Amino acid sequence: MDVKREFETIIKTAEKLGTDASNFMDKRIASIIISGNRVIGLNNVQGLKIVPTTLEDGVQVDMEIEENTQIPFPIHVCTGYLEKRGYQRVIFNIRVRRNAKVKFTAHCVFPQAEEFTHDAISNVVIEDGAMMEYNDEHYHSDQGTIILKTTTNTVVENNGVYKNAFHLTKTRVGKLDVKMYLTLKENAVGELLSKVKASKNDEVDINEILYLNGEKAKGLAKTIVVGLDESRVTVLNEAYGNAPYSRAHISCEEVTKGEKVIVSTTPILKITNDLAELTHEASIGRVGEKQLETLMSKGLSEEEATDLIIKGLLI
Amino acid sequence: MLELVNISYKTNEREILSDISMKFLPGYKYAIIGTNGAGKSTIGYVIMGLSAYKPYKGRILLDKSDITDLSVSERAKLGITLMWQEPARFEGMTIETYLTLGGKLNVQKSEVIEAMEFVGLNPALYLKRFVDKTLSGGERKRVELASIVLLKPNYVILDEPDSGIDLMSLNIINDVVNYVAQYGGTPIIITHREEMAYNTDYGYLICAGKILFNGTTNDVLKAFRGTCEVCEHPNLPRSEEMK
Repeated sequence: MDVKREFETIIKTAEKLGTDASNFMDKRIASIIISGNRVIGLNNVQGLKIVPTTLEDGVQVDMEIEENTQIPFPIHVCTGYLEKRGYQRVIFNIRVRRNAKVKFTAHCVFPQAEEFTHDAISNVVIEDGAMMEYNDEHYHSDQGTIILKTTTNTVVENNGVYKNAFHLTKTRVGKLDVKMYLTLKENAVGELLSKVKASKNDEVDINEILYLNGEKAKGLAKTIVVGLDESRVTVLNEAYGNAPYSRAHISCEEVTKGEKVIVSTTPILKITNDLAELTHEASIGRVGEKQLETLMSKGLSEEEATDLIIKGLLI
Repeated sequence: MLELVNISYKTNEREILSDISMKFLPGYKYAIIGTNGAGKSTIGYVIMGLSAYKPYKGRILLDKSDITDLSVSERAKLGITLMWQEPARFEGMTIETYLTLGGKLNVQKSEVIEAMEFVGLNPALYLKRFVDKTLSGGERKRVELASIVLLKPNYVILDEPDSGIDLMSLNIINDVVNYVAQYGGTPIIITHREEMAYNTDYGYLICAGKILFNGTTNDVLKAFRGTCEVCEHPNLPRSEEMK
């Protein structure tokens, strides 16, 4: 497939996730488009340095946001793979320098993949007073045979802010293995959010881990998973309070629909400093009866009410 | 006409409603009055057919048809709805989606906007807000009142509609109640506050799951003041008080 068609196919698929294709043509908006092990689109803007390196089986991207810089528009990252079979490895090394501010809109699109493994590793450093938001949305083929492994290692230095949201709600999952490690230093704030809809025989493993290593660090790890049909979902969320006055909350909501669904959630809270405070909440099971009956009392069937509630949960 | 005939309901072997018979006529406004724990809300839940509130005795009739075994959805399709005392919250669902039931309710956007304005919710500010924990109790109740305006139910049970809301909102509740009665619907207000019952025509006074008294709202309120408000044995009615 030529580069132009690859570009068009990837962008067209990303549009299904709600992205505006014109953003990739706008020179004011930084972007990188990866297809297989090639970079087929790249736009740097002032204050940002994106340096891609082609690997045998993927792409490594080194990214740096300069000190005291605020990137005015979200950086668009689009990773695609258009073959039916194969392996793709992407490594993102991102450093947000002191007091810089940046947002990312990321899309991973694998619309035709059948026997395909996507391996993503992100290493992120948020320096003192810097802020970063990363919104990652996936579009997979409906084969349900994709294997997706994604590991994020983030360190947020003093007074930094980091938010990461992972969404895989619009298509089949396949096999998903998400690991997010977040280390928060003094006064740092970090949020991890994963929303996944698993259907048919999809398999989902999510592990979000918060290390509160600095005084007054604040963290939130939240997972919302809808398990349908005969999917299997395992969520393990952990928080470690290692510094005084650090606080974290971990939350897991797993909604099931289907007699063969297997879901589990395990929270782990551990404190090594008695001035730290950790909390958790978890719910697992069918859609809440009161919610269901509220919508049914307005005329929706149980099925319609369940679908509407699930749709809301996954937004 | 909606009719409860000798309804009895119990949970964990405890009798909550005993031999309740009520009639609700189209176009009239009703109040179900009683102190906390009398069983008022349970009557509402039984009428709506909530899964945990199936009576073990008695029938519910709608225009003489037996609806006792119908599901919540089926009753709703026949024009019965319920506004909970503490309405449920929905993460990620906008007020617009909620009011249109995700597009399933056949209403125009202009009607949604009109209904929101009717209950004092500025559409510009609220249409895209989520029906989640970020709404205050009063805001959430207004959303529910807007839903009633759009649904135009034949029978609407309002369970303690004034709880957790400000005085100004009382007028809005009364406006919605009047609106329902004007088009020939039947609002049924469950309350333990006299002010809330003033705007109704007929009432039932409930004590310990039994009907203590029924009649015009004025008479029922007199009975409420004369018995329940001065009662030293709440929810333990004595035979001489049963009329």
